[in-house]
Amino acid sequence: MQRSQTRKSSLPYLLILPTLFFVAIFTIWPTINSFYMSFFRQRLNLARFRDPTFVGIENFANLFSDPRFIQVLKNTIIYVLGTVPLAIFLAFLFAFLVNQRIRGVGLSRLSFFHPSILPMVSAATIWMFFLTPDYGIFNEALNFLGYRGPQNWTANPDLALISIMIVALWKNAGYYMIFYLAGMQNLPTEVFEAATLDGASTWQKLRYVTFPLLRGTTLFITTIAIIGAFQTVDQIFVLTQGGPSGASTTLLYYLWQVRFEFQDVGKASAITVVLIVLLLLFTVTNFVLSERGED
Amino acid sequence: MKARKSFLVVMVILLIGLLAACGTTAPAEPAATEDTAPAEEAAPTEAPVVEEPSEPVTIEFFYPVAVDAPIAAIIEGYIDAFEVENPHITVEAVFSGGYGDVQTAIMTAIDGGAEPPAMGVMLATALYDLINADAISPVSPSDEYLADVFPAFLDNSRYDGKIWSVPFQRSAVVMYYNADLFEEAGIEPPDSWDSWAAAAQALTVREGAEVIRWGIEYPSGWPYWLFQPLAIGSGQNIVGESDTEVFFDDPDVIEAVQFYIDLSEEYGATPAGVQGIWGQAPTDLATGLTAMIVHSTGSLTGLLDQVDFELGVMPIPGQAAGTFASVPGGGNIYIMKGAPEEKQAAAWLFAEFLSEPERVADFSIQTGYIASLNSSYETDAMKAYLAEVPQAAETKNALQHAGAELMVQNLGEVRNIFHDYLQRAYNGEMTPEEAMAAAQAEAEAALEIFK
Repeated sequence: MQRSQTRKSSLPYLLILPTLFFVAIFTIWPTINSFYMSFFRQRLNLARFRDPTFVGIENFANLFSDPRFIQVLKNTIIYVLGTVPLAIFLAFLFAFLVNQRIRGVGLSRLSFFHPSILPMVSAATIWMFFLTPDYGIFNEALNFLGYRGPQNWTANPDLALISIMIVALWKNAGYYMIFYLAGMQNLPTEVFEAATLDGASTWQKLRYVTFPLLRGTTLFITTIAIIGAFQTVDQIFVLTQGGPSGASTTLLYYLWQVRFEFQDVGKASAITVVLIVLLLLFTVTNFVLSERGED
Repeated sequence: MKARKSFLVVMVILLIGLLAACGTTAPAEPAATEDTAPAEEAAPTEAPVVEEPSEPVTIEFFYPVAVDAPIAAIIEGYIDAFEVENPHITVEAVFSGGYGDVQTAIMTAIDGGAEPPAMGVMLATALYDLINADAISPVSPSDEYLADVFPAFLDNSRYDGKIWSVPFQRSAVVMYYNADLFEEAGIEPPDSWDSWAAAAQALTVREGAEVIRWGIEYPSGWPYWLFQPLAIGSGQNIVGESDTEVFFDDPDVIEAVQFYIDLSEEYGATPAGVQGIWGQAPTDLATGLTAMIVHSTGSLTGLLDQVDFELGVMPIPGQAAGTFASVPGGGNIYIMKGAPEEKQAAAWLFAEFLSEPERVADFSIQTGYIASLNSSYETDAMKAYLAEVPQAAETKNALQHAGAELMVQNLGEVRNIFHDYLQRAYNGEMTPEEAMAAAQAEAEAALEIFK
């Protein structure tokens, strides 16, 4: 009895050991290292600062007094808050639509889902053509709908970030839809039969039965969507290079710029720390809010 | 109990399998940097003997592809020819993305303590970053070569009395124009800002509010390079002799910014604001959506394939009548200091091989890059090519008017600052005076510790 008890408690650790090994090497160690390096000045493009010097919180002080970094933070928050809820709403809507027993449902599922099998770089390249001023298909469509505003989406300071967000929505909504669709198809039919007997409308069933039952799925999707949003960078490289004037620079893109273009390791480490803290903040808040809703 | 036991056995087997898999992936993990560390496989024998030329040596050649030409196939062809001449050397060409990616890959290898490739093609302007990182070795081209190469292409190679790179795929900023449209309208190719703006305005076609054809498209998504000829043509380049000085707020530079804005605001001849259309501009010229574009000489071959009209190529008109401007660009070959000496020696052999006049001419003909040697233009192949494609001679002529490309210490950050404010001016968020004053102040702050 005693022995089986021990085995029971050590087995799980044994099982996660390989994963833990890789997480430790490729995630935990770099994280710790970034925290450590963020207190040093190290610039690879300047001989006398090539060896790290301890500077305390100077890197963070510089960052938060730099209007460019504040702009980057703002862009990132707008990007996350602008894409995540909308992508999830669209995903739920798409899943609900393609879960109906109607003609051509396979084609709809395919068309909603297909953007998500493309690599982001390909998706962004496709959108580069869509967004072309004058004859891009996106502008043509907007024209048809009566839009008469500026068409240079990727070069306009007010539109560049939005065009980055549109690409993300287009690509991600279909992906999240799959999770909702799987969730919906696993829902117990009796509940819906009962609701129908009680005379619930489609909307009421959706609002009071489907949505609450899918809360776990929603939590999962929200979490991966937030993490994904913070990690977005590919379409920025393709579409705007963070411009114009930094209007579409997000944290991760800025991190790349500082580390590889400016060769400033200390500052890049400080940005990494900010990125990790923000990510934790968002995911934990999300988790706590959903848990509270559970009661 | 038995079931649990067998379950455990299965899990242990799985675990061992996984670890074994890790075992095979772990050495492959430097696979990301594997390109940079072929030492083990390449040199099975210990103690490399430099004097013995038959000692086999394998070097890696990192290169980017930045134009619409079959660079990879061309380079492989040169390598085959080189290996026939030098049977003891094996060159592995590694395509590494864009210019920035090559530099990032090499620098990451060095930071990680791995052996870098023996040679790489990086931006000519990457010089200070590479020297400060102690990443490259100086090179010693022959006097004959130095007398032959176009001086403008060696501007970015000199530092501290030494030469650190040799030109490989070099370009310059030029203007392409639809000569048929000019002839139809009875307009001469421009030779000043006034005649340029007037031509652009005259060639713009509108139907109501809709633009059918722009007079000119002037990409500015990543703007410093195409902007520089405007500043030079205005009388003041944005960069001078010093490696820590910039001239962003010079009145002539501000005038150049204003001229770009005027092309849209005053003359209505180009799209308003920042034009993020680098990739699209040549197609727009070929399909008649614009009468002129400012672009790289590297687009010549692609354009000639597309156009069904007489394609004109010329340097950028300057402000004063009869003056022109351009600026060189593109990549040089660097030899990496971190590579063992015998590999550096082999790499330099290959660099010299690539710099022979016939090969430079051939590379130019096949890609559209400007041949960097005077003698290349004396080769039969080049003469035949120029007879067929006279525009290629114009790309070379543009060089006579070229000023230095922006290269200072801390280049990445300074360039980013300049881009930011130049685009703010283009987009009307700031006046050219405000924007350039702010750019100058920030750039000076960013350069302070480099003085």
